[in-house]
Amino acid sequence: MRVLIAEDETLIRLDLKGMLESAGLEVCAEARDGVEAVELAESASPDVAVLDVKMPRLDGIEAARRILDGRPMPIVIVSAFTEQSLVRRAAEAGVYGYLAKPFREEDLLPAIATAQARFDQLAAVREQVDTLAEALAARKAIERAKGLLMESQKLTEQEAFVRLRRASQSSGRPMRVIAEAIIETIG
Amino acid sequence: MKVLIAEDETIIRLDLRGILERHEFTVCAEARDGLEAVELARSTQPDAAILDVRMPHLDGIEAARRIYAERPIPIVMLTAFRDRPTVEKAVAAGAFGYLLKPFREGDVAPALLAAAARHRELLAARRSIGRIEVRPRS
Repeated sequence: MRVLIAEDETLIRLDLKGMLESAGLEVCAEARDGVEAVELAESASPDVAVLDVKMPRLDGIEAARRILDGRPMPIVIVSAFTEQSLVRRAAEAGVYGYLAKPFREEDLLPAIATAQARFDQLAAVREQVDTLAEALAARKAIERAKGLLMESQKLTEQEAFVRLRRASQSSGRPMRVIAEAIIETIG
Repeated sequence: MKVLIAEDETIIRLDLRGILERHEFTVCAEARDGLEAVELARSTQPDAAILDVRMPHLDGIEAARRIYAERPIPIVMLTAFRDRPTVEKAVAAGAFGYLLKPFREGDVAPALLAAAARHRELLAARRSIGRIEVRPRS
């Protein structure tokens, strides 16, 4: 697993890196502020990010929000500050874990494992949503195109469907594309 | 937010309760073992649960699985073990957070809040699947 770490204090960053590496994780990028974290999240393609909150230029919570907007990944925050308002902001931004500093290796690793698992779970559900939404849109388009064909060509529903399917097979394009083309021309 | 806590050691349970109450959570139920946790989750309908892994009668991981199967809520596991298999089992059971004993006050509320937010996201995504599937055929 490739980890991006963002921490402005060099000693803590080294410590963090050491902990992750000794647990067999690869630290693929080290950021010293929030802006750098956002850039590295894009360019170094990490699987997970561990971000400090108080950093120069851009704080870790805002960096988390931008990272999640661009290239979603599980994010764990580490911070010496655990006020409710800060934690709530982080939770709203989409982070999966929030650890108080000084953190221990034994806190960090389960937090990363949990974050990764729940992130994957959500991604799988969202993918299913997309697939279903796509299937639904296809079905709607096909129904509509079928209706248009039936009306304009005086076909039965079965004949209209056969025509759509044939057009799809001979062109090698999905039925949805054919249906949309029909809607475009005669709809 | 109403929280169920399950922990067989009284001192730790009281400590946890105190921490949660200081952070504006309501502790709606306290269980001393896994079976009690499952029953109390059913009867008190908490918004989230913190479950110790090692408890009599039924361990926290199995309790988490049963609670979640009945009514999905964010669950944070509490454990003295840091070994990979325990973490993996908890993760596989659906835990949204992990607190290691001795836990620090500063870690409890953040773990719960992050777990609750991410769990809401997951439920929302699942609900939208339901909406797509139940939509009638045109």
